[in-house]
Amino acid sequence: MTVRARARRLIWTRRAVQTGALLLFLVLVVANRPTSGEGPTGPVSLFFDLDPLALAATWLATRTLAGLALLGLVTLAVTAVLGRWFCGWFCPLGTLHNAVGSLRGGWRRLTPRSEGSSRWQRAKYYLLIALLLMAIGGVHWIGVFDPFSLLYRSLALTVLPACDVALSEVANAVYLGDPQLGPLHLRDLTEPIDRWWQARVAGSELRVFTGAGVILLVFAAALGANLVRNRFWCRYVCPLGALLGFAAVRPLLRLRSRTDACNSCGRCTLRCPAAAQPEKPDQWLATECFGCWNCVAACGNEGLDFRWTLPWRATSRGSVDLGKRRSLAALAAGAVAVALMRITPAAHGKTFHPLLIRPPGARAEREFLQRCIQCGLCLQTCPTGGLQPTWHEAGLEGVWTPMLVPAIGYCEFECHACGQVCPTQAIRPLALAEKKQVRIGLAVIDTSRCLPYAHGRECIVCEEHCPIPDKAITFERRESVQRDASVRTLKFPRVDPDRCTGCGICETKCPFQDVAAIRVTSAGEDRHPANQPLLGGRAGAGTD
Amino acid sequence: MLRPTRREFLKTAAVLGGGLALGDALALPRAALAQDPMALSVARWDPAALATADLAAAAGRLTEAAIAGLGGMGRFVSKGDVVWVKPNIGWNRAPALAADTNPDVVGALVRLCYEAGAKTVKVGDNPCHPARHCYATSGIAAAAEAQGAQVVFLDDRRFRDLKLGGERLDSWPLYPEIVEADLVINVPIAKHHGLTDVSLGMKNLMGVAGGQRSAWHQQMADCLCDVTAFLRPRLVVLDAVRVLTAHGPTGGDPADVTLVGTVAAGTDLVAIDALGATLLGHQPAAIASLGAAAARGLGTLDFRSLPQVERTLS
Repeated sequence: MTVRARARRLIWTRRAVQTGALLLFLVLVVANRPTSGEGPTGPVSLFFDLDPLALAATWLATRTLAGLALLGLVTLAVTAVLGRWFCGWFCPLGTLHNAVGSLRGGWRRLTPRSEGSSRWQRAKYYLLIALLLMAIGGVHWIGVFDPFSLLYRSLALTVLPACDVALSEVANAVYLGDPQLGPLHLRDLTEPIDRWWQARVAGSELRVFTGAGVILLVFAAALGANLVRNRFWCRYVCPLGALLGFAAVRPLLRLRSRTDACNSCGRCTLRCPAAAQPEKPDQWLATECFGCWNCVAACGNEGLDFRWTLPWRATSRGSVDLGKRRSLAALAAGAVAVALMRITPAAHGKTFHPLLIRPPGARAEREFLQRCIQCGLCLQTCPTGGLQPTWHEAGLEGVWTPMLVPAIGYCEFECHACGQVCPTQAIRPLALAEKKQVRIGLAVIDTSRCLPYAHGRECIVCEEHCPIPDKAITFERRESVQRDASVRTLKFPRVDPDRCTGCGICETKCPFQDVAAIRVTSAGEDRHPANQPLLGGRAGAGTD
Repeated sequence: MLRPTRREFLKTAAVLGGGLALGDALALPRAALAQDPMALSVARWDPAALATADLAAAAGRLTEAAIAGLGGMGRFVSKGDVVWVKPNIGWNRAPALAADTNPDVVGALVRLCYEAGAKTVKVGDNPCHPARHCYATSGIAAAAEAQGAQVVFLDDRRFRDLKLGGERLDSWPLYPEIVEADLVINVPIAKHHGLTDVSLGMKNLMGVAGGQRSAWHQQMADCLCDVTAFLRPRLVVLDAVRVLTAHGPTGGDPADVTLVGTVAAGTDLVAIDALGATLLGHQPAAIASLGAAAARGLGTLDFRSLPQVERTLS
């Protein structure tokens, strides 16, 4: 078989692998949607377990490997041997970039100059350096840029909910309108599809997320940039790609070229998604190359091929040449970013954001932020949809981290799924019985809104829903003088602070939909000894 | 159209404009119902054998016995009927905690309906906790599906404002698919409730309602009477196999659950609820919604006055 034929076959193999990995990613996102209280089964965090960037940054931030998957080391080892095949063959975000980039050639004239390598490709290394320094300083911003976090967050919080909404709107419109094609009722077609989607894909009532627009914009920008440069994100931004680039300095599988065969046609450059300089025989950039084989297939003279090569026999130099000054500048930028994010009262325990209610099992805030990679697995698996991404509540440092918004949904008593799926144990994997004991906040009654207190009406919906087996919300019967001077005996709710775990169902179910008359704030959360309004913590909370 | 079905009512109502005619139309089945013998059938498991009984099998047999005591399911189900079995599936709680209707009672009812010739038996509720969790944890989805029932998750957008013409609720969003069924079997579990002291058959009808139904708490007795008067379920099966005696309606502590081993079936919802209230240790007249229902002529509190069939199994 000729070199080109083999390359073409490998390219089709690569496309199949890429499609498979992307589908697997999607399947794992869907598999993580809520099923029962035990949480999803299956390796829902597989991609994050394979992610050496999440591993490195979390290790730097926490100085411990406890609770971290070490599969990322395998990825690094494979990269050291094969080069950045991970980017070319596996990364599902890279695959989406490929797909969008393939739209590009048609409307824009490509030249070797526009497609060739650029100094700007070093930007991703500087970003990586800054991010790792931030991690050392305890600011874990990896998740904002990590490709898996970016993709997971975007799919789970924006793309899938959009599909849910679109499908159910159509199905519902067909159901209500009942259009017919001859004897055929269209709803007989749409209803089973809708039911299947609800049961197998949605898995719960509709869940939508605040701030989804921003997340979608970032995703759209990352994908849209492929129209400017093929795999723009991977070339210039991706810190995981940069980390793998460091690992791929001396791969054993290397691009070899026959200089006598090259007529400088530039086709290899045009086809190279990574700008790895396949056109320059001795300056092929191992640290940039995705191992996609496009250049091998593109060369009409069969002048290029990947060959197993011992490192000392390599003809092209492999290094990431960043320059001392620029590298120092990147380090300095990381240090400044840490400082900027830390000069807030909240970062020093001076204030506690009342709405920053973390999921049960979440570590103390500083330690939590050193682990959370903003991936969105916990948000995706929360059955009530109450777990939402933060925007400003946890500071810039904690953007897109999970918080419970009881106005939207509560923490289900019989569920501990969020801690089971967290890939970095920012939320600890508590047993269900243990989770039921954790206080994430405390409910307080607003007597200026609460119906019996403020309006002389019966209610206690909060007491009805309180899931604590012996009720953290009780009531006392008291007389209430009505407008006509008659006296009614009403039930006035009270929160027992020793039993309340802050699950928030009282707030979710309160008849006041705008601002509930009973609200949970972070006060009393177990995570923080300083955020305790009550003497000596509490006794016997949430007994099972 | 002398005895139109509920579905025909709805169609008529739709034709006449947005359900406005329903209130008047419902006078018809009320009259028809009055001719039913208001029988009551109670099946008890021998108290001496209760502690050692296989509860799953016992619950099924008690249900069969209770229905047989009323004259069998054939009295209520005609060939080709669509039946909606309406248990309490409100909470994400295991059967042993007695917050939801016993799954084996539901399973037995589904089977009896099919045996009586039902075309489709649907099972569903509008729960307070996430529906899929409730349906699974309560065991009701599995038990119903095992008997061939169609387990239905209610869709928030399909509730429709229906004209109840009640004393408190003039109209309220109810689930058309339930209202349209040829027969609705109301299958509550007997349990404690903080606001209303007891949660029984009338309270179970809240699961047909959508909208901001928590506001019913402000005048629960009137709201329950209004929805009872509108729906008038022809068959009520009370699950008192396990009974939640405190910290209802959610419960969660096995110590609050008492084994009673009783299933009661009847055609008078108020009488069944009165019996349930008695089981829970209350005077029926002391329960606000029951007192109001009796005063409005929706049924009798004196369940002992009804022709009664009692069976004891072991």
